[in-house]
Amino acid sequence: MGAWRHFPIFMITVPLLGAVLLPFLGYVREKWVPYASLLPLGTSALLGVLLIGRIPSGGYLSYHMGGWEPPFGIEIRLDYVGLFLMLVVCGITTLALVYSRRYIEKEVSGGRRTAYYVLYLLMSGAMLGFVATGDIFNLFVFMEILALSSYALVAITGNRNAVRAAFKYILMGAPSSIMVLLAIGFLYSVTGTLNMVDLAGRIAESGFTEVLIVSYILLVVGFGVKAALFPLHMWLPDAHSIAPSPISALLSGLLVEVCAFALVRITLSVFTMRASDLVMGTADAVGVAAAAAVLYGGIMAILQKDLKMMIAYSTVSHIGYIFLGLTAFTAEGLTGAMYHMLDHGLAKACLFLCAGNFIYLKGYRRIEDLKGAWGQMPWTCFAFALASLSVIGIPPTAGFISKWYLILGNVEGGKWLYAAVLLAGSILAAVYCLRVIYYMFFQAGKEGAWEEYWHDAPPAMLLPVWVLSLATLFFGVFSFLIIPSLLKAAAYLL
Amino acid sequence: MKKVAALLFISALAVLLLYVVASMPPMGDPDNPTATHVIPRYLERAEEETHTVNVVTGVILNYRGYDTMGEVTVIFCALAAVLAVLGRERRGVIHGFVDRSEVPASVIVKTMVRFMVPFIILFSVYTILHGETSPGGGFQGGAVIGGSMIIFTTIFGLYESSRRIPLKVRAPLEGAAVMGFFLVGSLGLVGGGNFLTYAWPRVAQGLHPSLVVWLTVLVEVGIGLGGAMVLTSILFAMIREEEEIAPAS
Repeated sequence: MGAWRHFPIFMITVPLLGAVLLPFLGYVREKWVPYASLLPLGTSALLGVLLIGRIPSGGYLSYHMGGWEPPFGIEIRLDYVGLFLMLVVCGITTLALVYSRRYIEKEVSGGRRTAYYVLYLLMSGAMLGFVATGDIFNLFVFMEILALSSYALVAITGNRNAVRAAFKYILMGAPSSIMVLLAIGFLYSVTGTLNMVDLAGRIAESGFTEVLIVSYILLVVGFGVKAALFPLHMWLPDAHSIAPSPISALLSGLLVEVCAFALVRITLSVFTMRASDLVMGTADAVGVAAAAAVLYGGIMAILQKDLKMMIAYSTVSHIGYIFLGLTAFTAEGLTGAMYHMLDHGLAKACLFLCAGNFIYLKGYRRIEDLKGAWGQMPWTCFAFALASLSVIGIPPTAGFISKWYLILGNVEGGKWLYAAVLLAGSILAAVYCLRVIYYMFFQAGKEGAWEEYWHDAPPAMLLPVWVLSLATLFFGVFSFLIIPSLLKAAAYLL
Repeated sequence: MKKVAALLFISALAVLLLYVVASMPPMGDPDNPTATHVIPRYLERAEEETHTVNVVTGVILNYRGYDTMGEVTVIFCALAAVLAVLGRERRGVIHGFVDRSEVPASVIVKTMVRFMVPFIILFSVYTILHGETSPGGGFQGGAVIGGSMIIFTTIFGLYESSRRIPLKVRAPLEGAAVMGFFLVGSLGLVGGGNFLTYAWPRVAQGLHPSLVVWLTVLVEVGIGLGGAMVLTSILFAMIREEEEIAPAS
């Protein structure tokens, strides 16, 4: 065992340390804060990259915090899927942070910019800790940091709508946190432990009691709100469309996915009894909700007039995709869901950042205003189109690969209806994405709406957008690098 | 209609939760899973393993120190959230503005507060430093310092109190709790253990107890200082907000 054993804990704590050091830097040199905040996230990403290949796809890394062995101390339990998700988090947060500097200079007033970067780092670190932990109370602690920082980041521009959206988010989010906390308390009262693996063993011994059933339902509802699973998604469209664009990218591309992942993790590693009526019954209910989410999100996205609102409703739809993959309970379905977390994260982050470019340069939010955008902002428009292809699921983008496995998983599990719903969702996605692309490239804009010459967003804002959109292409073409390991890891998890 | 639906939903939830609470293991029963699984080790061996007489401190700073690191981050995050919404008081702005938070206080009140605040702070220092032997610790001590700042500010006003704890002192110390945890956690690696290991395998056994106690106190001091600064900064940010909202007179 080498020094790499310690990498995950530093991936988590270095962004948190960076966050607490920033206020002083913000006091001394506010201008340096955007650059300095890249350092901790870059460190995390580097450590994560160095961990690639260390964790076998069928195994895990168990790290005992403080040297106390599991049920007594807290354990970090990182398996292949967890590391995969941590790397996705590192990549997207770093890119959106690069994007942030120019955008935030314009959107957020001077005294609050440092707070923006502090919250950003807290949120990134919390997501990493949230994914890696093997302790259910620790999961709650990181969920609190995550929730608190995201509420504030939605409200950071300080205008009326932003504050209202954030308040709506809090109204939904706070009760869901309490539900999760209650569920953890109930679990602890009947098992006397907080470690996930230990919990699974104790539950297997005692069998299902009323307390366990209710705590499981509370966990599903609690994380369901955080992951914006239909019909608990009401907070999402407002919060995700009104937040500053880099934050929208993070909320839509990572936060909801990470919360969905936490629910999966709890289902698979705590309530391990797959055959039990409780888990299967809940999975059926979640499956119905997810199928409804796919269709509802898609239809609502078509009806939207605001670009960011449309992308946000598309997220509602895609969360349904992820949950449909998970409830199939097949290795293919789980792999599809994990891969969808990657490609949806990349594509959604890219779409939101593109929308941010339009807002940054022209202040245009409505889809109709984008008519003829190609003439002035070709780079942004092409990146938007490429990411849209991934959202629709057209080969050779990553979206195609994940949707392929999602449908395969559902067919394998005998759920033909859900496979049909997934296809229908893709058609809806094609409708709402192609409309925007049609406006951008094939319609003439209003007189004076756009400059006659090329005048795109600054390079620091185009670079992340292009890296993200090319990444969707890369992970589509080179999916064979990851998919076999994911399949193995998924089979191991089930 | 909406109200009726909400009422029905909440009643259903309440019935469900009451039902669960009724079927939970009886409170205080020595045969409870909570009393037989993890807890016995904490109660029986905490003093020998964590070198803290106060078992609560042993659990929150040592056995489950990582959770506490997360919790102090939550506190810091609360401050960042307040500053994100309200904004921080800026340098220079604070001088020469009309301080409406100042209550016209009588000489008696002013004298009493001036007299009491040092003692309150002394008490909180005691609470923080004795966290590992007696009830109390960084969280409580920090809250007491924050409380003393609230008293001082309500009587003497923002100008006076922000002169005593200026931004240049608060800004680096707001995250002291997380920094303390990170420092002690990384030192655990230097000592040959995992993150947040207080007892270093590489150090001679005889040194252990005092080393562990010193590291624990370091973390406690960090939590206390950080908590106090966070409370003070939140207070100042809220006062400034009132200033902006209040109509000019």
